[in-house]
Amino acid sequence: MNDIAQMTIKFTEIEGIFNMNKYIALVGTNSDKSTNRELLQFMKRHYADQADIEVVEIKGLPVFNKPDNMKVPDAALAIADKIDQSDGVIISTPEYDHSVPAALMNALEWLSYGIHPFVDKPVMITGSSYGSLGSSRAQGHLRIILDSPELRARIMPSSEFLLDHSLQAFDDDGNLLDQEKLSKLDGLFADFQTFVGLAKQLNHATSINRQEASDYSWDKQ
Amino acid sequence: MKLVGIAGSVADHSYNRMLLKFIANHFSDTVDLEILDINDVPMFNQSDDQTDSEPIAYLTRKISQADGVIIATPEHNHTLTASLKSVIEWLSFNVHPFSDKPVMIVGASYYDQGSSRAQLMLRQILESPGVNAIVMPGNEFLLADVKQAFDENDNLKDANTVKFLGSTLDKFVKFVRVINMLNEPQPTSAEDEDLTASSKIDTTVEGVDMGADDWVEQAAKKVNAVEGDTYVKLDRGLLTVDQLNAFLNSMPIELTYADSNNQFIYYNHMLPADKMLAPRTPAQAGDPMSMVHPARAVKHVKEVIHMLRTGQRDEIKMPVPGNGPDKYILHAYRAMRDSENKYLGINEYVEDLMPMIKWYLAKTGQKLVDDPDAVTGASAETTDASTGASSANERTVAPVAAPATPETDASTGASEDEEEPTSVASAESISASTETAADSEPDDVTGASEDE
Ligand SMILES: Cc1cc2nc3c(=O)[nH]c(=O)nc-3n(C[C@@H](O)[C@@H](O)[C@H](O)COP(=O)(O)O)c2cc1C
Ligand SMILES: Cc1cc2nc3c(=O)[nH]c(=O)nc-3n(C[C@H](O)[C@H](O)[C@H](O)COP(=O)(O)O)c2cc1C
Repeated sequence: MNDIAQMTIKFTEIEGIFNMNKYIALVGTNSDKSTNRELLQFMKRHYADQADIEVVEIKGLPVFNKPDNMKVPDAALAIADKIDQSDGVIISTPEYDHSVPAALMNALEWLSYGIHPFVDKPVMITGSSYGSLGSSRAQGHLRIILDSPELRARIMPSSEFLLDHSLQAFDDDGNLLDQEKLSKLDGLFADFQTFVGLAKQLNHATSINRQEASDYSWDKQ
Repeated sequence: MKLVGIAGSVADHSYNRMLLKFIANHFSDTVDLEILDINDVPMFNQSDDQTDSEPIAYLTRKISQADGVIIATPEHNHTLTASLKSVIEWLSFNVHPFSDKPVMIVGASYYDQGSSRAQLMLRQILESPGVNAIVMPGNEFLLADVKQAFDENDNLKDANTVKFLGSTLDKFVKFVRVINMLNEPQPTSAEDEDLTASSKIDTTVEGVDMGADDWVEQAAKKVNAVEGDTYVKLDRGLLTVDQLNAFLNSMPIELTYADSNNQFIYYNHMLPADKMLAPRTPAQAGDPMSMVHPARAVKHVKEVIHMLRTGQRDEIKMPVPGNGPDKYILHAYRAMRDSENKYLGINEYVEDLMPMIKWYLAKTGQKLVDDPDAVTGASAETTDASTGASSANERTVAPVAAPATPETDASTGASEDEEEPTSVASAESISASTETAADSEPDDVTGASEDE
């Protein structure tokens, strides 16, 4: 390999690092102990050379009560800000009663109340459960929720990462034990990177979409 | 009918709450609807258990006591509100008041979909195993464009809407009755006692054939039952399963447990069947009561169970006649109830009283003499088991005003049982019996004397 070629490779790598996608990884629970949090922390480490992942908590937001003054709590505004500045969002959801935990639904209510950080934002959904189904039903519901008019996220289509028996899924260092699961996650994450790249090009209507979402008022219907 | 209503909103103003209030006022002839407040319920957090906090304990109590629940759900982002979901999570975590509870879903939203998607998800959530509610199928009450729906007095404007709501509510009332009937099979007469144990109670082990000879092993496996040196916390004490077995098997009485579903689930296995006063075999444990009684005993068995279940009697004693002067075998059936007085089944204990009586007499230097004034329920023919059998069929469970009959043995009779003499008939084992001796069948509860 000649020097020029080598330099080009180096340059691409460096460019890659500078241009590394920034993702917000939302922990879909307020629980102190969470295998979904473990999964996101693992992804942060495992993909550190491919993307900059920041694990963000939703704990502590007040219960959404549709305040007349439209005031969104600062903690929710801070999350909205992070999402705004990110290239995409990864949400990992537990399953409670065959659906999304209230804590995550609550965060999404605040994040669609007069603010619209999710509009056209690429989203990858993951989830884990103690049992054998890996939060499949919660993930199905989460898709429907993220598709609603005031969230309007760009959910990565035809993909699903279900981590079953999650209490046994990680070793002592927090790494995924099951190699097949890991290959699947690697594949989906690579797809997500591509999807994010694609989504950046699907930007012609973004400003209109944003406008529509913020004009969208259930009250006007 | 007592219903409670929950509106899925903690906002100051809620059309869904308004809808529930309208139902409560407008249909007060049909239902007694109390609207529950969820405003102070904290966000569910599994690592900060607040099940016992007042707002959650209040909801748990109210829902448990209600015959049914109406939930009015808003729709936020195509789903129910987090505030409502949080309530449901608390009520499916360490307490489960929704379990087997009939629920009707209604909903109102600003848009023309009228909360349709939220209702669908809410239904799925309520039917998940941890919540285990029984949601009324079919009817969907969706109140679209809710901002235009009410007049200035908070009444629904559209007559057809009110009519449809009324018919939905009527249907729910019927649904609640049916579901609660299924939940609590309360036989209204002795005949309705189901000895085949075909319904199910909370403790019934499902998926195991009750009649199987190894029911105990199969059922134990199914529920991961503990055994051996594992400790069991009791009221009041702590024993290992081995200790508990040793304790129960050394009782000077034969004990049998038949649950409220009329399933024979336990006996203290201290002797082989042929050495027992009321023989049982290991293969019988788990059998429905219908399997352990001959057909001829069924009527009386049902009567006894029914009296205990309904609280007419707390205990019924039935001596077995025909054992001669040295044996006085008593079958006693005692109703077991929980702290809320709910019937849990029968504790049947069988013992021979004579050894104890003889011991007492010897210790105190006394002997038995006839009491010419003894008032007992014994009628003359009960001294003869075979005549008793023929009359047993005509007897009812009503107290029998039997003439006082002189007893040949003062130890029998009135002192035995303070309760009114009641003829219920059978010394047949209620919970289980391999007995075949027809002549041991009928008897009065009190005062039977087996010897002349
Ligand atoms: C109220 C409640 C309801 C639950 N319902 C479900 C359920 O429907 N399905 C399921 O797989 N796990 C259920 N679980 C267990 C989940 O906590 C577990 O599977 C979860 O997805 C693990 O995520 P985490 O480790 O990030 O908390 C429930 C737990 C709670 C506390
Ligand atoms: C964050 C947010 C999201 C909403 N999403 C929906 C929706 O997806 N579908 C809908 O019909 N209404 C939606 N609405 C408007 C609701 O119809 C309305 O808030 C509610 O259902 C009215 O019931 P309430 O007065 O009992 O709160 C939304 C409102 C808010 C504040």
